[in-house]
Amino acid sequence: MREIAGHFFAGGFGTELIYAFVVIVCSLMVYYGTKELYELSSHKGIKYFRQAFLFFAIAYFFRSFIKFIVFYFDVHEIFDFSPRALGPVIIFFFMYFSAMAVFYLLCSVMWKKWGDNSKKIYIFHFLAFIISLVGVLFRRIWLHVGINIFMFFLVVVIVCIAYKDSKKGKKGLNLYAIYLLLLLFWILNVIGVLIPNFLPTFQIMIYMASLGVFLMIVYKVLKKAGPV
Amino acid sequence: MAKRGKLEIVKDILVIIRDSHNSIKQTPLLRKSNLSSNRFKEYYNELLEKKFIKEVIDKKNGKYIVLTDKGFRFLEQYTIIVNFIDEFEL
Repeated sequence: MREIAGHFFAGGFGTELIYAFVVIVCSLMVYYGTKELYELSSHKGIKYFRQAFLFFAIAYFFRSFIKFIVFYFDVHEIFDFSPRALGPVIIFFFMYFSAMAVFYLLCSVMWKKWGDNSKKIYIFHFLAFIISLVGVLFRRIWLHVGINIFMFFLVVVIVCIAYKDSKKGKKGLNLYAIYLLLLLFWILNVIGVLIPNFLPTFQIMIYMASLGVFLMIVYKVLKKAGPV
Repeated sequence: MAKRGKLEIVKDILVIIRDSHNSIKQTPLLRKSNLSSNRFKEYYNELLEKKFIKEVIDKKNGKYIVLTDKGFRFLEQYTIIVNFIDEFEL
């Protein structure tokens, strides 16, 4: 067991695990920190905002912890399956939940503009399913990069429209910039999972920058909503 | 005068009850809330359902509406909720 652990930590898996752990803790702090606000207000925006962070937590759980549990506790020997078979399943769930997290974040700022149409969320679930399926079935680097860049620009355009419509002016700019950074790092993370050697030199920097954005959001949430 | 949002209407109704020594009849509540009869009923039923208010029967004077602990908690947290929604553009 120690050998396996040593192998993981030597191969950068330890860093990934710590990164995933911090993201999960941050996301759950946002989710539980806003629980009372949602229970009292039943506000749709708060609901989508909370769900976005819950889905981020689930996505990162699939990204690192499942892999860790399976290898560290030799689960594959107990249940007699090849660890290689686990890869596509993990990628599928990671992509599905992280895509849904981004869509929920989008819904949280756009729900007023889109109206009270709960059917839209099913379209997003379907889209996330298709993206995950493509991610698992087709192993072409540029297809993955292309899909993610397309999604990024789609979200950028929608968020920019929302920002223009916002009457708050400068106040909202800071927040939209944080959301866009979060989306950018999400894309780099997805690409990092699908194509492990895509940006090996910058991996630590991407982790640090992503954590910075997550911590900034947690700080803003806890400052406004009160401690968990 | 700007149109009130749902949260603001809920807050206004709860404030009316609280400021009436936490005991008011339905008719003066409807009058003070500045809502049409139908909209008031919708909000009233929702507040009962969410347990923000409850009906208390007084044998002498009939039915009164009072705030529950959850209703008081909503009023305490109202500013925080509104600031949160505003801050995150939700």
